[in-house]
Amino acid sequence: MEKIKLSKGFTPQLAGMPDTSLIQLPTPHTIGLSALDIPYIRPKLLVKENDPVKTGTPLFCDKRDTAIQYVSPGTGTVKKIWFGERRQLQEVVIALDAPEKFVQFDPVPKKGLGNISKQELILRLKQGGLWQSLRQFPAKDTADSSHRPAMIIVSLNGNDIFSPHPGILLDREKQAFEFGLDLLKHFSDRVIVTARHSSLGRLKPILSHITHTVADTYPAWDPGVVLFHLKKSADENTSWCITADHLVMMATFLITGRYPVERIVTVTKNGDKRPHILTRQGAPIKILSGSFHPESLVTTGRFNGRIADIQGHLGFFENTLNIIDAAGEDELFGFIRPGTDKTTVSRAFLSCLSKNPQKVDATLHGEERACINCSYCENICPNDLMPSFIMKALHSDEIEDALAYGLLDCCRCGLCAYTCPSKIELTQILSHGMDSHYKDKA
Amino acid sequence: MNPLKKIFDNNEHLFTGSGKYKRLASLFDATKTFFFFPSPTTKIMPFIRDHLDLKRYMSFVLISLVPVLLFGIYNTGFQAGIASGEHLGLGSSFLAGAWVVLPIILVSYGVGFFWEILFATIRNHKISEGFLVTGMLFPLTLPPTIPLWQVALGISFGVVIGKEVFGGTGRNILNPALTARAFVFFSYPVSLSGNVWVANQNTVDGISGATALAITGGDGQTITQALSSAGFSLSDLFFGLVPGSIGETSALCCLLGVLFLIVTRIANHRIVLGGIAGLVVTAILFYLIPGGQESWANAGPLYHLCAGGFLFGICFMATDPVSAPGTHAGRWAFGFLIGFLTVTIRVVNPAFVEGTMLAILFMNVFAPLLDHMVIKYKTSKRIPNV
Ligand code: SF4
Ligand code: SF4
Repeated sequence: MEKIKLSKGFTPQLAGMPDTSLIQLPTPHTIGLSALDIPYIRPKLLVKENDPVKTGTPLFCDKRDTAIQYVSPGTGTVKKIWFGERRQLQEVVIALDAPEKFVQFDPVPKKGLGNISKQELILRLKQGGLWQSLRQFPAKDTADSSHRPAMIIVSLNGNDIFSPHPGILLDREKQAFEFGLDLLKHFSDRVIVTARHSSLGRLKPILSHITHTVADTYPAWDPGVVLFHLKKSADENTSWCITADHLVMMATFLITGRYPVERIVTVTKNGDKRPHILTRQGAPIKILSGSFHPESLVTTGRFNGRIADIQGHLGFFENTLNIIDAAGEDELFGFIRPGTDKTTVSRAFLSCLSKNPQKVDATLHGEERACINCSYCENICPNDLMPSFIMKALHSDEIEDALAYGLLDCCRCGLCAYTCPSKIELTQILSHGMDSHYKDKA
Repeated sequence: MNPLKKIFDNNEHLFTGSGKYKRLASLFDATKTFFFFPSPTTKIMPFIRDHLDLKRYMSFVLISLVPVLLFGIYNTGFQAGIASGEHLGLGSSFLAGAWVVLPIILVSYGVGFFWEILFATIRNHKISEGFLVTGMLFPLTLPPTIPLWQVALGISFGVVIGKEVFGGTGRNILNPALTARAFVFFSYPVSLSGNVWVANQNTVDGISGATALAITGGDGQTITQALSSAGFSLSDLFFGLVPGSIGETSALCCLLGVLFLIVTRIANHRIVLGGIAGLVVTAILFYLIPGGQESWANAGPLYHLCAGGFLFGICFMATDPVSAPGTHAGRWAFGFLIGFLTVTIRVVNPAFVEGTMLAILFMNVFAPLLDHMVIKYKTSKRIPNV
């Protein structure tokens, strides 16, 4: 087990850490398959409202490769299809009004992985709605199945600081996890398994599979950060990554021939210590979140998620919800108060002397200004980028410069925009730059 | 609700949209956000944001200037007292100093804000907090005898030419406060040339009192002997009870201020340490060169450090992040070269005794080049990802 050292990043003292016990939610009335959390997809709908569907029935596919399908995580009828602006597909909602039936594939016996060709595995995973769990760097688009990546990074920890503890999943799914690791060896010669240092205690049964441990500094466990610190040559830039819960789903799907529907999620809120929740994939956000102050923001990752619509459902790539207070209060003489309770990376508040968990809220704490060259963004970027210079290159359309400065190494962790005292949307600017470059190239 | 907040909310409509005073929208906004910290909900990831913002950032620079300012006021009165043959006590020195210094500061802020509001209105911008700092730094670099109309002209030049023509805060190449000072220096050399630096409350003109940097040895006197016989012992220069620009005389107060800025990580320590290192190394080098006993070449690092405006410049002017380099290595080089140039100008060109101002402005111009070189180097070390 090697240690990956991170010299930058950020360890905020956050309140609301979930408890490591597990409760099970009753089956909800509806579930959904969101398209909002799927990067780059150009969805093509395969069902209409009121169509009956089984668990595993394809609901939409990706026009860029129609073999890659997104399947229903439950049995029932298509209740509603939500579209956004310009008729962009947002979500397919399924009413769970029929006994569970599965689209059945041939099971792969535990020892039978060697007898199946790689091509067949790929095809089956695509049809089964799980191929897209493999993501390809640098843009983290769906993995290109004709590519052999230099390495595959398996992350045991999710995107948020309070994403589910991997031990809770792997206590239950050790065998599937090991099957999954064998499966990945079909696709790459090098499989990296990373876990946060603080998670190791509960990972005893699978400790021997962990190749690298990372610090508890956000976002050390992000696969993009792991890749940046491991890579030695440019051909590793197109490595793949997958999260542990998706790997377990893949394995379960191959072993049973059925689409697995269970997910473990966390819901975090200031002052609460909620247990982990065992629920269905695509569960309604309203049921998971419970009640909260109407001015709160619900996100699927406080640094790098999306704002979740309270009427919507949890996406395929999401397994955490953060309920963040957003009642913006204009504070009298706020700029000069000593600030004993303010989260900050700077040393400009007294709170930097304390180790107590601090409250955070989903407000900007200031207004946007021009960049003042302060280097706060550079000092925090885990991948050694200089976000302000990349931003300036992007603004003057010098995409070549932006790439040379390392734009594609950005893992969109959100820390640069978090820290910028001028409140510049650095992460968004870089992310858009990366997206438009990626789409131009494709 | 807070009653003050109510006043703002009730009058907001006058300043927005088609309200009566919509031209003053930026002034209204600046006043309102001065009292009430704006904190809109985040719409874009990351959803939580750091509490530090530019208002606090710039306010901290102002706080760091308090020792320099208070001491400057006191010293101005004290020196004026000496000049008219009295020895003023603490309170009366302070009063006498305030009588001279406060009008200068008020003119600087008043005229500067006029330009800021004008440009903010034309460009439909928010007023940038950066001016709070510029408007205070500029007067502190001036001799107390400066005529107020020159203060007004200087700050106008600094804000308009030094900053706004480049596109406002964040895009300026030069430090606006220093630009303003340089303008006054070159346009009205008599006021700033180092001879008339003592404000006198009784006469309208100041009376002659040379600053430390204008002194040279001669007649067998070394520079250090000449300095101490003119009343500039090292400890006088360190504590700052000597004639000079309002805010620049006390090395101690500058160091206190910058210590606060470095501890709170508002100022970048690399610039300050690099600058002091550059100055010390260069001063030692000149010292080791034989000859020049009576010139500043032989003054040694400590005198160079404490005399004139170097510490004020490196602590408060050079650390202005906008006009300094944006890379860490660039900052070290920037600071070091300012130190080097300061001593070199002082020694080589006694016509411009105060080298710091020119050194910083010169390095401001080269900051982008330093950044460019550092980034080129850093980029070449990355594993390419295109
Ligand atoms: S540039 Fe910003 S979002 Fe990208 S890795 Fe660095 S800190 Fe994270
Ligand atoms: S943190 Fe913001 S203001 Fe500071 S250098 Fe980066 S982009 Fe510029």
